Amino acid sequence: MKNPKIIGQSIPRLDGVSKVTGSALYTDDLKFPGMLHGALTRSPIAHGTIKRIDTSRAKGLAGVKDVIIGEDTPKIKFGNWRLVPESQDELPLAVDKVRFVGDEVAAVCALDRETALKAAAMVDVEYEELPNIFSVEDATAEGASLIHEESKGNVSLVRKIDYGDPEEMFAKAYYVREDNFKVHAVSPAYLEPCSSIAVPEEGGRIALYTSTQTPYIVQCLLAQTLGIPENHVRVMKVAVGGGFGGKMELRPWEFCASFMALRTGRPVKFTFTREDELAFGRRRHPMSIYSKVAFSKEGKLLAKDFQVMLDGGAYNAMGPTATFLCGTFGNMLYNFPAYRYFGRHVYTNKPPASAMRGFGAPQAAFAAETQLNIAAEELGIDPIDIRLINAMQTGDVIPEVATIRSCGFKESLTKIREVSGWDKKRKEKKPGSGLGIGCFSFISGGVFNWFNTKYNFSAAEVRVFEDGTAQLHTMACDIGQGVDTVMRQILAAELGIGIEKIRLISMDTVNSPKADLGSWGSRVTLMNGNAVIDAARKIKDMIIPVLFGELDLNQIHDIAFEDDRVFVKANPKKGMDFGEAVYKALRGRRGEPLSACGFYTPRNKGLVSPAFSFGSQVAEVEVDEETGLIEVKQMYTAHDCGVAINLMSVEGQLEGAIQMGLGYTLMEDFKQDSLGRTLNTGFLDYKMPAAEDMPPSEYTEIHTFEEEGPFGAKEAGEGLAIPTAPAISHAVFEATGYRCMDLPVTPEKVLRATGKLED
Amino acid sequence: MAKQEIELVVNGDHYFVAVEPHRTLVEVLREDLNLTGTKVGCGEGDCGACTVLLGGRSISSCLTLAVECHQKEITTIEGLTTSPDDLHPIQQAFLEKGAVQCGFCTPGMIMSTQNLLNQNGEPSEEQIRQGLSGNLCRCTGYTKIVDAVQLAADRMVTQKED
Amino acid sequence: MDLPRFEHHQPKMTEELLELLAAHSDSAKIVAGGTDLLLKMRAGMMNPEHLISINQVEALHRIDYDDSKGLVIGGAARINDVGQQPDVRRYYPGLTYACDVMATVQVRNMATVAGNLANAAPSADCAAPLLVHDTELVLAQSGSTRQVKLHEYFTGPGMTIMEPREIIASILVPPVPERCGSTYLRLSARSKVDIVAVSVAGLLTLGASGEITTARVALAAVAPIPMLVPQASEMLVGQKPSEPLFAEVAAVVKEASKPIDDVRATAAYRRGMVEVLTRRVLAECLAKAEGGDK
Repeated sequence: MKNPKIIGQSIPRLDGVSKVTGSALYTDDLKFPGMLHGALTRSPIAHGTIKRIDTSRAKGLAGVKDVIIGEDTPKIKFGNWRLVPESQDELPLAVDKVRFVGDEVAAVCALDRETALKAAAMVDVEYEELPNIFSVEDATAEGASLIHEESKGNVSLVRKIDYGDPEEMFAKAYYVREDNFKVHAVSPAYLEPCSSIAVPEEGGRIALYTSTQTPYIVQCLLAQTLGIPENHVRVMKVAVGGGFGGKMELRPWEFCASFMALRTGRPVKFTFTREDELAFGRRRHPMSIYSKVAFSKEGKLLAKDFQVMLDGGAYNAMGPTATFLCGTFGNMLYNFPAYRYFGRHVYTNKPPASAMRGFGAPQAAFAAETQLNIAAEELGIDPIDIRLINAMQTGDVIPEVATIRSCGFKESLTKIREVSGWDKKRKEKKPGSGLGIGCFSFISGGVFNWFNTKYNFSAAEVRVFEDGTAQLHTMACDIGQGVDTVMRQILAAELGIGIEKIRLISMDTVNSPKADLGSWGSRVTLMNGNAVIDAARKIKDMIIPVLFGELDLNQIHDIAFEDDRVFVKANPKKGMDFGEAVYKALRGRRGEPLSACGFYTPRNKGLVSPAFSFGSQVAEVEVDEETGLIEVKQMYTAHDCGVAINLMSVEGQLEGAIQMGLGYTLMEDFKQDSLGRTLNTGFLDYKMPAAEDMPPSEYTEIHTFEEEGPFGAKEAGEGLAIPTAPAISHAVFEATGYRCMDLPVTPEKVLRATGKLED
Repeated sequence: MAKQEIELVVNGDHYFVAVEPHRTLVEVLREDLNLTGTKVGCGEGDCGACTVLLGGRSISSCLTLAVECHQKEITTIEGLTTSPDDLHPIQQAFLEKGAVQCGFCTPGMIMSTQNLLNQNGEPSEEQIRQGLSGNLCRCTGYTKIVDAVQLAADRMVTQKED
Repeated sequence: MDLPRFEHHQPKMTEELLELLAAHSDSAKIVAGGTDLLLKMRAGMMNPEHLISINQVEALHRIDYDDSKGLVIGGAARINDVGQQPDVRRYYPGLTYACDVMATVQVRNMATVAGNLANAAPSADCAAPLLVHDTELVLAQSGSTRQVKLHEYFTGPGMTIMEPREIIASILVPPVPERCGSTYLRLSARSKVDIVAVSVAGLLTLGASGEITTARVALAAVAPIPMLVPQASEMLVGQKPSEPLFAEVAAVVKEASKPIDDVRATAAYRRGMVEVLTRRVLAECLAKAEGGDK
């Protein structure tokens, strides 16, 4: 199938000029007349009941305009799983209990930020402390105190998958092994700290400018917690400085800003600091993982028993989704005749873990891929060969989940073997150096509807005008990944007009058709792209009849849209400019504008996702045997994302994913004291990779065509966050003999394992 | 404390402002002068989003007192070009090479690039990476940023030779 | 957090500066780059009523080198300016390296070498390379000055012998003799852009017959203060350099270190690395001394 030429081009992002000149407006760049500044009072303790709150001192401070506590609010709990109301466990402001250091207890707004901060510190709260629980093991122990009364054993959600007969397989298998893995929490560390401004509008309505990846979800949950109609909330377009999963829920300050804006009649802004983000912000789930696998002598996977406890912190946040997906990521890459997953989402008194790039997959894959590498070693099979033996391919079924319609996994393995010089380098291995491999698969958006939207998953409206231009309305949200550009490429391709002809109105919940679930789970290119195509085709259906009438065409003809023209496919000279065609259609419609809405909801696509991306990554490292310092010399990636709509954007996603993956593997880690307070709350000591830390990286695209995706595209940005940790830690094993079972890999762990460090 | 009258020369424009001594340069740029291109990513001099040039050299404007900048020349991202149709070579290179994703680190990254190229017009890849040591990016993995700096350097050298 | 309130002074002459400091010494802080001070003030660790800037005092910005007197670094000289100075690059490779890699470009453009010392962080990057050169500090106060050895300057984390009314007016680094090699190695266990977890500097001078005539090893980030290790000098001076000797010295230096666990590295790792880095530092110093490089 031949795609229009704009598909696959590396078009510079269309918001790029505003970003390189500093004119792009992020939330904190905005101010409004009369705007007040908000601040939060947070719990200083990890677990306790609130005995008494006294706001009188804060209220008495000059310049303070409002102080609110939980009791002042409607006390409506929220959470993204509206379909399961009992999972909605979070209040905008705590009422009875606090559950982590940082839990929101009160909010204030004042004439300036400094006064607001001062007032927030003057809210007197008396707590009665409860026992702190900081690990999933302690949380699930007999007699552990309950963080949420309703959740027995501190488990808020259980997910099970069970097919085949694992026990039978384990009994008859040639090779069986069991391992325990631990992975740690990391921060999404988007560069833009969260910021929100609520502007009161007439009739008790709210306009909210907010750094979010999910405008529609914020709209719905904000309305729910305020107790006002959904349509009273308008979420407005701003530039968003990254999200990575950390900005996909309603946040307490979005409620507080709106609630106080309605009370005071003035705009209220909250802007947070890096310290707030690192100390209290969302994180990737730490997990304790038990995995048991069975193989035949030839290296064929027979069964897996995968048991995972997710350390969810104080609230569910996106933990239920991560718990669900983690199980599916445990068996997405390879064919398992028998598979059992037992996933538990566990509460602890730590800042809530939530979605973060990969959504349960980086953790699952670290365990699964590491274990596969161990097995390959022990079975005497090359790690790439053992993957080829078991790899999913087109047409394979993930049992009880989906049939895979496009899969370039095996091709990626073959390619990575070649480009990395795998065989040669392994044969001529030098001491202190090594190659390691990790693979991944990821979803292109979820088919699940736990949010329980009554609308389609994605929607778009296209309007076309007689001057040859078009307007695209969508709630899709560009958080840096480049969706605003990709959606215009898709529309330009479908209508055959220049991309510069398209005005985009995005991320505005009143000016676009409902709905869009937001930028997460790698859903936007496929789902919103399909909605754009649907709308564009409806527009074409309004234009095509005009040509048939105007040019007196036989109905056997077909019409093409290309190069800003509309013409007869068999005779391109016969046609007219796109604008002229719109003009004629307008005349024919007696002035009724040409506009159409398009929608996409995955239907009959199983339980998880309509399409799956695949890929392989090899890391080459050198380890200083005396210091244990690990230098990643080179990364190689072969990646099947279907058709890349914008190759430069896809490469950018990959390169960024390696930064995040490398940080996850080698340097990022939270340190906490015995009272549950985070110790590294700045980038000085929450270390993520700088330019000097990044290795060179080579990228190969594996070409497949995904029938379900727009122009053959599927997921590209998120799956790449998965393979880096297993690949690097495998390479470190090859270089040193140290096999990491508990991330991160540190020089000290290497030296201890190799006997180079006493005491 | 009493406000001090200071004169800031920002992008060639003279601003006369009264500021309290505790206010940082980035606060005054963003809040008083409405130059919001300069960003705050950490407020602790670690991320580089607030980088501006002071007397031609890159500094963290979140750790600089505004009163210390009295009568000093300051260049911010808004000062690199006067028109979006006529981008500075660094801006143009960032755009073309895909060095921009979320864009929040971009102004600081570009100002650090300017600082680097002021001192070393033909930096090696290693020198570029070192020159960006004070600027964190979470989106790009720096690859395309390094490419963009290289491209900008090449073009600026050529421009000079022309 | 916003900064607490203070009064700000920007004197232009040294004497004016010292008088201001004397007048407010119980409640004043000197600000140069401000890269440490402002962070501490924001964190509530310091709350001075007066900030006295030394940045406008022209005389304090000097960086001068003279073959007979050595290097003079003014109290307000920026780290990047020091690191870029050709004589510094030629004669003081350890200091050059510290000035090239510590913190970030922006911080090095703002912060001063004197501030790095006066701040007295155990991990001060400039400290170890200056210690091995037998550096002295000129401490000035209104009406008087005194000269002290850098190795006697630090008294604890964030603490020095300096009186509240004193400033570091200049840093005096002696000239480097023939057949002298010096170097500085630093290690961060996480990122290349990081506060140092272990730093070791060394200096060796060789005599006519190849024996060691001067030797110094200094450490930072592995004890409450940056420090010289006198035992190392004692073991090395008068000996012929050799790998086994360096290994013995490294083992002793390791024992002299008193590191702690923190978020950057554990004490055990630091101790181990003191030994590794000391060996490497001494080998590098020897190579440089033998190569005729200063």
